[in-house]
Amino acid sequence: MKQHPLCTDTEHELDVSRLALPAEVLQEWASLQTRRHFLGRAGKVMGWAALAGLVGDRSLQTHASSPKTPAGAPGPDELKLPHFAPKAKRAIYLFMSGGPPQLDMWDYKPNLAAQYDKDIPDSVRGAQQVTGMTAGQARFPVAPSHWDFKRYGQTGTYVSDLLPYTSKLVDDLTIIKSTNTDAINHEPAIMLMNTGNMNAGKPCLGSWLAYGLGSMNDNLPTFLVLQTKLNPKQDNQPVSSRLWGSGFLSSEYAGVSLRSAGDPVLYIGNPDGVDSATRRQMLDAVNQINRETYEEVGDPETNSRIAQYEMAYRMQTSVPELADFSKEPQTTWDLYGEEAKEPGTFAYNCLMARRMAERGVRFTQVYKRGWDVHGNVVGTLPQLCGEVDRGCYALVTDLKQRGLLDDTLVIWGGEFGRTVYSQGGLSRENYGRDHHPRCFTTWMTGGGVRPGISYGETDDYSYNIVKDPVPVRDFNATILHCLGIDHNKLTYKFQGLDQKLTGTTPANVVTGLLA
Amino acid sequence: MLSLPLVGLPWIVRLNGQPHADWQQFLGRFHPLAVHLPVTLILLVPLLELAGRRKPALREAAGFVLGLAFAGCIASVMLGYLLAFGSGAAGPGVTRHMWGGILLTLCTMLCLLTRPLWAVSAADKGYPALLAITLILMMWAAHQGGSITHGSNYLTVYAPRPIKTIVSLGSSQAKSDSFYAQHIDPIWDKKCLSCHGDGQVKGKLRMDTFEALMMGGKDGPVIVPNKPEDSLLLKRVTLPEGHKQFMPAEGKPPLSKEEITWIRAWIQQGASPTVTHLEGISIREQRDIPLEPVGDYSALQPEIDRMKSVPGAKLLTVSAKPSDGLILNTLDVVDSFGDAQLAQFEKYAPYIVEVDLARTAITDASFTTLAQFTHLRAIHLDNTSVTGNGIEKLAGLKQLTYLNLSGTKITSESAARLKSLRSLRHIYLFNTPAQPLAPAAEARKTS
Repeated sequence: MKQHPLCTDTEHELDVSRLALPAEVLQEWASLQTRRHFLGRAGKVMGWAALAGLVGDRSLQTHASSPKTPAGAPGPDELKLPHFAPKAKRAIYLFMSGGPPQLDMWDYKPNLAAQYDKDIPDSVRGAQQVTGMTAGQARFPVAPSHWDFKRYGQTGTYVSDLLPYTSKLVDDLTIIKSTNTDAINHEPAIMLMNTGNMNAGKPCLGSWLAYGLGSMNDNLPTFLVLQTKLNPKQDNQPVSSRLWGSGFLSSEYAGVSLRSAGDPVLYIGNPDGVDSATRRQMLDAVNQINRETYEEVGDPETNSRIAQYEMAYRMQTSVPELADFSKEPQTTWDLYGEEAKEPGTFAYNCLMARRMAERGVRFTQVYKRGWDVHGNVVGTLPQLCGEVDRGCYALVTDLKQRGLLDDTLVIWGGEFGRTVYSQGGLSRENYGRDHHPRCFTTWMTGGGVRPGISYGETDDYSYNIVKDPVPVRDFNATILHCLGIDHNKLTYKFQGLDQKLTGTTPANVVTGLLA
Repeated sequence: MLSLPLVGLPWIVRLNGQPHADWQQFLGRFHPLAVHLPVTLILLVPLLELAGRRKPALREAAGFVLGLAFAGCIASVMLGYLLAFGSGAAGPGVTRHMWGGILLTLCTMLCLLTRPLWAVSAADKGYPALLAITLILMMWAAHQGGSITHGSNYLTVYAPRPIKTIVSLGSSQAKSDSFYAQHIDPIWDKKCLSCHGDGQVKGKLRMDTFEALMMGGKDGPVIVPNKPEDSLLLKRVTLPEGHKQFMPAEGKPPLSKEEITWIRAWIQQGASPTVTHLEGISIREQRDIPLEPVGDYSALQPEIDRMKSVPGAKLLTVSAKPSDGLILNTLDVVDSFGDAQLAQFEKYAPYIVEVDLARTAITDASFTTLAQFTHLRAIHLDNTSVTGNGIEKLAGLKQLTYLNLSGTKITSESAARLKSLRSLRHIYLFNTPAQPLAPAAEARKTS
């Protein structure tokens, strides 16, 4: 192997003295190793050693790691993961961006009807700083939910009339009424929920899973993101790719976002005049050149490039097969609804998520935007619920009947909840709700969590948590636990810290949620 | 001479179950510490005596060690007595342990007295016999002591099932399926019996039988049926942790929220020993069968690693613990993975706990192969062309809990042949000709 031009690794330098050379040549070589030679080299080596110290130990690890992990980080084999036998092999996260109003969907507060238009007591709100959107309001009048709640399932769980489908699932759901976050605005809150930190630059849950657990199917990305088409009538908060970014982890662990219209991946098909065999030939040639470069330079990034080309080639077959719903039987459409035939709808994405689960995609995140109902709750919320309700139900039911729910964890939730008091005008017909970080409802189901329970309680105004709070870090720690990961052990050294998804504040797995 | 006050001690100063001076408890609490000294010394004696056959110097040491052991015994008995008297411990277990300690001390003393005779003439068998008795007595007394501290089920609670069965054979009291027997009594077992059971009886309260529990302790009844708020037991376990009267005392693990909920509901609804179901409390069956470790496959590890680096079927580890077993993953190569490919994995058979063959080209012929995979817990055969012909061969897989046959051609007749698979908890027949059977299959699922 040729020396890397920058390599001063004397240990692996060509050892001339061991070569089968005439004795006099060897002697001459040895005599050339003079003191001056030594001093000259030593100075250079010291310089490199100092540089290595400055850039940290990661750059040194690069040489030791396998070519599959280009950033020099340990791969799943070296990470010794999962830490223990997992209940779930994969997860599907249905993310409701904008903050669904818990009071109108899950957190039943029958006593509020009598409180209509009364100010919420100061004792409840305390000294909390509210958002700039309601801080100027003269009063904070209670807005009871416009919708009735009924009991469902053997567990008799209350669910709002807005969710006629999801309510059928309650016996399988683990409903968490006491989820709470530290952020009151969308961007920090959604970052906190997804990456465990309000500031950008940290890897998201999916990236940690991809990094820690690796792929189950080399023909498809480990972590896929599906975005639901925008409904222009809704108040859509932006969703950016840093929510599925890999932060300081290698970019190969970032989520791959499939497009909601047209080809799921751009240029997935071969251009006109290029058939699969030609493509293969071209790749073989490129790979050969890359392999020669690797032989010559020894940079593991080159191998990773080869792997990416190969993955892209395999995706040319696997992605169209994944997105081809033509073989789905009529029962599928009966379950998901005709809407699921239209790419980009939430129902379509749910069906896609099931197909990905079947094909071993480790983590699928489905985004649905538009939950930011500051005003006109009565007008917008039925629309929003109508879009997701059947999809959620169909996905969970489908996974269950196909035997996939045993080892798939399904998570539903947004970045925060919404206030009990009305933002803007309150009338018998309509009201608005502002951001509320102190409590909101999420649910999980499937591998690892305990079905048919409601966890945590909020006060009469669904304002403060009175029992079993679940902060975001505990929520995420619990998800990792279901997938066999000890959140304190899945770390990555960056900026002098053993970084982890749950951050530096001590986090706990919520055992009350576990099966 | 010395033995008289020792044997007479329990009569001179009676253990009446009342706590006494603090200094007694302070000193007494060194008993569990000090007691290990004579235990070790006594164990050393026979070793020294035996080894002394080769090295006479060691035999000489045995006499000295025995003397030390005797002194240690005396000290331990004194401290132990202070502990029991000071803390007001009483109960059959305490009494047994006390007499064990006293008799052990006496035996040690006799050993000490008979040893010189034996040293003169080895024909004198009194000393070896006494030493043997001393050893047996020591084990028994030490076990009694351990049972007081840790509870009498400490050794067996995590024992493998066969051992548990053997141990419980003697005292097998058929466990009824009442809520009390199933869920409440085990809480006492886990959290209370080490102080309120057969071993120790603190506060004159025993909780090892239902009758004893309802009799209460020195402050009267601890359970008042239908009145959780008046039940002393519930009050004491729900005090703020760190409160003087909080139970379990002495930093022992407190009751969980769930356990308290169950106890409250049980009292609320009459504290009956026979009722099998409580309103509002649903308890899911414990679904987890402890994973049986697979054997050592480290010799095959290089091949397993090689598989990972090339495209094709792979063996993934369940967890970082190799003994959790392997998963056969075929997701990359579903189209080209058939019966022949599966057969190649036979040499890994005992180490594989899960096979994912969903959507592969596998056929009924593979049931024979799969029957070799004796540690299988889960088989995914969904969306394959199997019809169930030969499925009964899987009946030997004693650990199989999950079988997915969705989307196959399996018929109700072949599905019925799985009845003998007792461990099976999840069987999926969605979208198969057997689906009319599904409700029955559903019923077998615990979900």
